[in-house]
Amino acid sequence: MTLRQALVRLVTPLVWRVPGHGARKLYGFSRAEQASRIDLLQAAQRTTSLARRAAYLRHALDETRHTGMFWRRSTELRLEEARAPFTPPVADTEDLFERLGEQRFLAFVHRGEKRGREQFELYARHFAKRGDSRTKALFEAILIDEQRHESYTRALLVELCGSERAARAELRRAALWEAWRTWRRAGRALAGAIYVAAMTVIYLITGPIAAAGLRAARRPARWQLPAPETPSPKVVGEPAREAGR
Amino acid sequence: MAAVLGISGEYHDAAAALVVDGVIVAAVQEERLSRIKNDARLPIHAARACLAHAGLAAGDLDRVVFYEDPVEKLERVLVSTLRTFPRSLRQFPRALGTQLGGKVWVIDRIAEALGVARDRVTSTEHHRAHAASAFLCSPYPRAAVLTVDGVGEATSTALWHGDGTQLRELGRIEYPHSLGLLYAGLTAYLGFEVNEGEYKVMGLAAYGKPRLGDEFAKLIQLASDGTFELGLPYFAYLADAELGFGPAMEQLLGPRRPAHRPWDLEHSADDQHYADIAATLQQVTEEALLGLAREARWRTGEPALCLAGGVALNAVANARLLRESGFERVFVHPAAGDAGGALGAAILGAIELGDPRPAALASAALGLPIDQGAAGDLARELGLGVRTASDVATDVAELVASGKIVAFCQGRFEWGPRALGQRSILANPADPDSRERLNRAIKRREPFRPFAPAVLRDRASTYFEGAPSDLTPFMTTVCSIAPDHRERLASVRHVDGSARVQTVDDATAPELAAVLGALDRTIGMPIALNTSFNGAGEPIIGNEIDALGFLMSHPIDALVIGELVITRGAA
Repeated sequence: MTLRQALVRLVTPLVWRVPGHGARKLYGFSRAEQASRIDLLQAAQRTTSLARRAAYLRHALDETRHTGMFWRRSTELRLEEARAPFTPPVADTEDLFERLGEQRFLAFVHRGEKRGREQFELYARHFAKRGDSRTKALFEAILIDEQRHESYTRALLVELCGSERAARAELRRAALWEAWRTWRRAGRALAGAIYVAAMTVIYLITGPIAAAGLRAARRPARWQLPAPETPSPKVVGEPAREAGR
Repeated sequence: MAAVLGISGEYHDAAAALVVDGVIVAAVQEERLSRIKNDARLPIHAARACLAHAGLAAGDLDRVVFYEDPVEKLERVLVSTLRTFPRSLRQFPRALGTQLGGKVWVIDRIAEALGVARDRVTSTEHHRAHAASAFLCSPYPRAAVLTVDGVGEATSTALWHGDGTQLRELGRIEYPHSLGLLYAGLTAYLGFEVNEGEYKVMGLAAYGKPRLGDEFAKLIQLASDGTFELGLPYFAYLADAELGFGPAMEQLLGPRRPAHRPWDLEHSADDQHYADIAATLQQVTEEALLGLAREARWRTGEPALCLAGGVALNAVANARLLRESGFERVFVHPAAGDAGGALGAAILGAIELGDPRPAALASAALGLPIDQGAAGDLARELGLGVRTASDVATDVAELVASGKIVAFCQGRFEWGPRALGQRSILANPADPDSRERLNRAIKRREPFRPFAPAVLRDRASTYFEGAPSDLTPFMTTVCSIAPDHRERLASVRHVDGSARVQTVDDATAPELAAVLGALDRTIGMPIALNTSFNGAGEPIIGNEIDALGFLMSHPIDALVIGELVITRGAA
């Protein structure tokens, strides 16, 4: 068991009990599945192999299904808590296939599927203990697909790399890339927080003076005429305008 | 003679369009390629796809034109957030961060991403790009032009006079007074997603009564010169970009409708109230647009009107403009929202470089083609049934006539939010069961949203009052169904007796025209129920991979790509 797995096992019973957290976490999974779906569709568009195109497309369709399953359960939990459900998940893409190339992309996807499978196994056991059969069934249903995804991506990776050894090396490089990405994300988050604090200070200092001047300079909600050649006699007289209609 | 690429993006609905030697060569929304609905990111994939379609490299471009001025936009964001001090405390760092962190550098980012020299990348004004997309794609040599949307740099509405290749601005209404933001605010209030749910509000409006005129008089006041003024205390977008309406609106109209609660217009008094709000909003929007159009007619004296901007996608309002504004002809750009600005920007750049005005837009099939060979290979690899049709039109018509739901992919995909026969799902318009199955199992729309009919252009007037017109080829208006046909066309009839008609001929969608001809022989009407080929919340299908994925995950009966008929079982 890795340190990460041990930590997850330790905190799982606690985090799922935080009020409102379960629905939010499931919604987070639905967004992750949605992002994965988009990456896989892009991979299907870009790969040169017909067999891999078919495999990526099948995988993307599974992710679409998972997105819906996580979102629906999240919605149920939100409604049980008398809260408004989250909006349908919209995810971004990092154009991973284009950035990483097919081998590294496959290694990245394989690592994600393996991690997901391990996590979901833990969650399925957790919800079985809690007697929450619906959420347990959700994770168990998705686990079947995660196991298949983990296995086929590994097989494709070995095939594409040419040997088991080369595939393991590619997996290590994907792990390094993920670590670097996490580091950069953390840096961006920190920079973002500093930026918000700095801009808030600037706003509080300059805002009162600027607001007074800008409010005085507000223009009325009427036609602003950019060109002097606009036929002025027509725009002056309201009766003439009415008569013209 | 020049090659000019237009780019829109960084807000929502990003797109790229390519004009070469005064000919519109390609126009592609990024969402069709990225598969992210309303993808707002810089449309680099779409730009590359346009270039590849034309057989050009980025180095061949004489100019790239972005559809708005990033510096003017930054100024507006800065001014409007400071003006609303201290309410914009949360908004200020976020808005400035988005602008300074990327948007204001958009010209450099485009140059870098495409590999084009920086001095070849320029920008135009947001509303000028909209105006160009409407007028310079229209069939009119001279016209009045109205551009109405949420907000461009600082303008929400502009009035233009188009003459030949020239566009002269006659006046503008500035932010924060905006019909687009009024509609968006109430779209959010009604529990729909902004920039996506506006169509739903328009559909819902027909179920309500416009009885809230007094309340709406506080939200917007219309002046006799076509201008309007919003009751700003009721709106929140000045201080919070994510929420269009403020607490005052809930005090005025009642609590907002929770998002995603199922609609029950028959039994829920609350939902009937929300439908009445939608109806009043629709009426007010129509009155405001009529005021603007009458002013445009009076100022320009032209018999034709062109429209663009997101508000111009309001098909019900467009029908009233044609009937009541005094204009003899009205044209709305098929991608009237921000995507269309990319094409407008490209045309403006081309004209500035000395190219002629493009020919009037005859078809919206400006996207990428579908690959029949690749579709067949992939379908077989996926274990799907594949056969080649002896006569595609007859085969499709027979399937549709027998109650089957058929996804229909032909040629290049459409430009804009409507499926116009290149990426459509077709069903029998006279069969209520087909409609029911289509909605329940595939589209999963709200019950109040109608499906649209596609009809052969030269037979349209038999079935639809006021069709054909310059609006009907691109599905940007509604028409009343002729009384004799109302019962039979119940599947494409809205509750108010109207239908969002698409007229089809060989110039707009030849393959669909052939199917409609075959349907005339089979069911006695050259009409099909035509809805967009996409799942709920997804962009319309782009290529054969998306199409096959849809077939595998939705209960449609057949997918037709070119001459191939593909099914889930054996062929």
